[in-house]
Amino acid sequence: MSRLCSADTPVRVPGSSQKQRWSSAFAGVGARATWAILLAIVLCPVAAHAYAGPGAGFAVLSSFWAIFVAFLYSFYALATWPVRQLFRFFRRRNAYGKAVFDRAVILGFDGMDPELADRFMKEGRLPNLSKLRDRGTFAKLRTTFPAISPVAWSTFMTGVNPGKHNIYDFLACDRNHYLPFLSSAEIKGPTRQIKIGKYSIPFGKTEIKNMRKGTPFWHWLGKAGIFSSVIRVPVTFPPEKFQGVLLSGMCVPDLKGSQGTFCLCTTRAVGDKFREGGVRAPIERKNGSFHAYVPGPDNPLAETAGHEMRVDYEIKPDVAAQTARLTVGSEKFTIKVGEYSEWIPIEFKAGLGFNAHGICRFYLKEVSPEVEVYVTPVNIDPGHPDLPISHPVTYSVYLAKLFGAFATLGLAEDTWALNEHVLDDDAFLAQAYGNHEDREKMLFDALDKTRQGLCTCVFDTTDRIQHMFWRYLEEDHPAARDVPKAERREVIQDLYQRMDKLIGRVMEKIDDDTLLMVISDHGFKSFARCMNLNAWLHQNGYLALKEGKTESGDWFEDVDWSRTRAYTMGLNGLYLNLKGREKQGTVDPSEADALKEEIKQKLNGLVDPASGTVGITGVFLTSNVYRGPYSENAPDILVGYGAGYRASWDSVMGKVTEKIFEDNMKAWSGDHCIDPRLVPGVLFSSHKFIEEKPAIVDVAPTILKLFGLALPSHFDGKPWNLAPQAVGAVGVKTPAVSPAT
Amino acid sequence: MPSHLALLLASWITSPLMIVVVLSVVIGLLMIVLFGYTSDQKAIGVAKDQLKAHLLAVRLYRDQLHVVMGSYGKVLRGTGRYLKLAFKPLLYVIIPITLMIVWLDRSLGLTAIQTNTPFLLTVHVNNLQALDTVSIDLPPEITASAPPVHIAADNEVVWRLVASHEGAYDVKIGASGQSAAKTVRVSPELAQVSPERWRGHFWERMFTSGESALPSDSAVESITVDYPERNIPLGIAGYEMNWIWLFFILSMIAGFIFKELLGIEV
Repeated sequence: MSRLCSADTPVRVPGSSQKQRWSSAFAGVGARATWAILLAIVLCPVAAHAYAGPGAGFAVLSSFWAIFVAFLYSFYALATWPVRQLFRFFRRRNAYGKAVFDRAVILGFDGMDPELADRFMKEGRLPNLSKLRDRGTFAKLRTTFPAISPVAWSTFMTGVNPGKHNIYDFLACDRNHYLPFLSSAEIKGPTRQIKIGKYSIPFGKTEIKNMRKGTPFWHWLGKAGIFSSVIRVPVTFPPEKFQGVLLSGMCVPDLKGSQGTFCLCTTRAVGDKFREGGVRAPIERKNGSFHAYVPGPDNPLAETAGHEMRVDYEIKPDVAAQTARLTVGSEKFTIKVGEYSEWIPIEFKAGLGFNAHGICRFYLKEVSPEVEVYVTPVNIDPGHPDLPISHPVTYSVYLAKLFGAFATLGLAEDTWALNEHVLDDDAFLAQAYGNHEDREKMLFDALDKTRQGLCTCVFDTTDRIQHMFWRYLEEDHPAARDVPKAERREVIQDLYQRMDKLIGRVMEKIDDDTLLMVISDHGFKSFARCMNLNAWLHQNGYLALKEGKTESGDWFEDVDWSRTRAYTMGLNGLYLNLKGREKQGTVDPSEADALKEEIKQKLNGLVDPASGTVGITGVFLTSNVYRGPYSENAPDILVGYGAGYRASWDSVMGKVTEKIFEDNMKAWSGDHCIDPRLVPGVLFSSHKFIEEKPAIVDVAPTILKLFGLALPSHFDGKPWNLAPQAVGAVGVKTPAVSPAT
Repeated sequence: MPSHLALLLASWITSPLMIVVVLSVVIGLLMIVLFGYTSDQKAIGVAKDQLKAHLLAVRLYRDQLHVVMGSYGKVLRGTGRYLKLAFKPLLYVIIPITLMIVWLDRSLGLTAIQTNTPFLLTVHVNNLQALDTVSIDLPPEITASAPPVHIAADNEVVWRLVASHEGAYDVKIGASGQSAAKTVRVSPELAQVSPERWRGHFWERMFTSGESALPSDSAVESITVDYPERNIPLGIAGYEMNWIWLFFILSMIAGFIFKELLGIEV
């Protein structure tokens, strides 16, 4: 049974038990006398005893300092407020003068499915979403091609198709090396180094380049003087400057620079390497206690790459109590089996005073007969960020100080650990909901702080939990065949109900002057069967392996590029091996269209021989789908899998297998990287919109229009119109301008 | 030569400055450790973080007046909470440290009477009639350098005295047929002095007197020797400072260093 630590159990400070003993010793009779003496001292002050040691001295000094600084800040803010307002008035005129609403609140529930939402509403399980449906809008929200979160959320924020924002998948393809790279951001260390002894000191700045193009709509709002609070919207790393606060979401790396690398520390003999997402670290026994380490990033001062920094920690198991006391640096805490620690600060020392700051949580899996501890990926410490994860940088510090440390990793819910059976269902849910609660706190703080303007927050929980627990929704999902039906929990139903309760609490916080929208970037379907598209390309003569090979390794190892005409990596993209574009291109550009058409014809409607169902329901040429300056970076073809199907795990990683179709046995059992027409998102709103086929690309223009701003001409989305009964309803102002074009 | 060095070193080690430095470091360490053990470290950490958060809120949302004012209010409340948390360890440290400061102040805060340097001795009686009966009986090493001054408005008699030799002497005061003594310390060295002797006045006696109380039926309310205040030379551009300020600054610095080293939240 896993559960989060109760507030009083985990991180113990040294001497806390002693402290309790002291307290109890002084309770009662002695305390009365002590109070009397203290009062006497306080009431009869003499110069010599006005000071009571450095501890109290610090307390008094810091208190006065805090009040003084707060007073200065407040005075400054108050004194300059009229000037700033006047300045803003003249510069931007009245920011809210043309706005239909004072505030727009957009809640993004990543992956919320309209069909499931409809079903649960009909069953009476989602009263708050039902209220929104009845009073305002409930519709399917058309998603992007492909229906992948970074693509869809980039479209949401920029109001343009992927050809204009340059995000087509989590991964993009390096055509020179046939290797993937992260599509959203590029982090480059300093290129120059100075050698001092054994150290090689980087000289210059780390460059973090945002690969997403286009301008998020909150930048337009900011230019008009409208404040925005933006929390955890995907593909906002690195954060860009604008008038408002922003905490980056999906695509923020961990401290190792990966999208999340967990560590399983174990006394067991080294097992198979994890397919992805994690590493094993041995636990060694020394003098009656156990020692392991948390793997960190490479040492930037090392002369050569690959020198991993590590933080050692000690484990003292108590088999009888089923607990272990962990010592990580100066932190000491006790956790029970099946329990997480709080976020523990970790400092990796590179030498010469260079340190990397991270946070992670420890989960005690077992203390007997073996000892096993799961360590989450080391997140960037929000209170001490080594990379910018918010705008301004102090925003993440502010949140960390206000609520305590929180997960900053883009994909913070460790789906790989559940896939690899390192975490069980309960441990995964505890982790996911722990992160969710932190984000709820941030949302409500932002709601409180942003009484005018835009407040938007994306919750990933809906996506991750549906990915991992869809198997329990179906009678015969391959990934749940070994789980008795009685043990299958209604995880997804609980999830939707939890989100509904969140909506209810948000509705209590808003008035009629606020527009509330609940949207999702895509819906969800089962992922029961995997299709290896590279295998299909191989078996149909489009992809060739080196002589004697029937399968390839990851990332096209053993692929003979000189005889290959097409390949696939990532979730939906298929690429031609084009001359002049790919390093070893074979397809003449003049033949490209015909080849694309040929592949499209063959793939469209492809049937899974095992079941007789259609595995691919749509094949789309990107030249017909995308328009914009970055279209050339897109794959050539997008493959739309049918419901129940998705690209296989191997195919995504550029591996050619013998089998084209196989069962998906992983806990990751639901997905949306399929034919986008099958997985629209949801749109709920507190006020009724008239729009037959709303799309996620329309959100940005709609918000700009509702705030009375002119729409940039490059927008692909079209603003929705409020229903006549919504315009002029209580709190809703009649637009002062005609709909912008 | 070595004996000269040893003497120099000995005088340096026993100098008031060095004593204050060593005491400040040791007490800074002790008090920080005591603070760490007696305080709710986690709660103090949270309270400090909250304060910082509200300060940051004022900066982050400076255009939102309701946030600025709300945050200022929260800073005030947070400061109160923080002080409350610091109050409990204060209970543990305030008594020993107060007593210790009082004790040290008698050595480090005041200078003993120097030979051949006039000083004042003041006798305060409880009624005007007793004022006329006040007399003084001086040891041979102490002489009066001027006739006594009677201040009827304050019920006080003041003598100007001079000591000719080092030592601790009892000056006897008679009033209304009773007598009481007051010790006068004459020394060029660091010495424990008691500037006042009181009748009753428990708290004053505790904090300013190192002597027993005067008899409760005595007409003498207090006897005060006007020991000069000691300022400790810092050896920097002729600066001098009262020991308590120096102790305050040095123990704070020591405390700050030790709190970082020991990871104690203050």
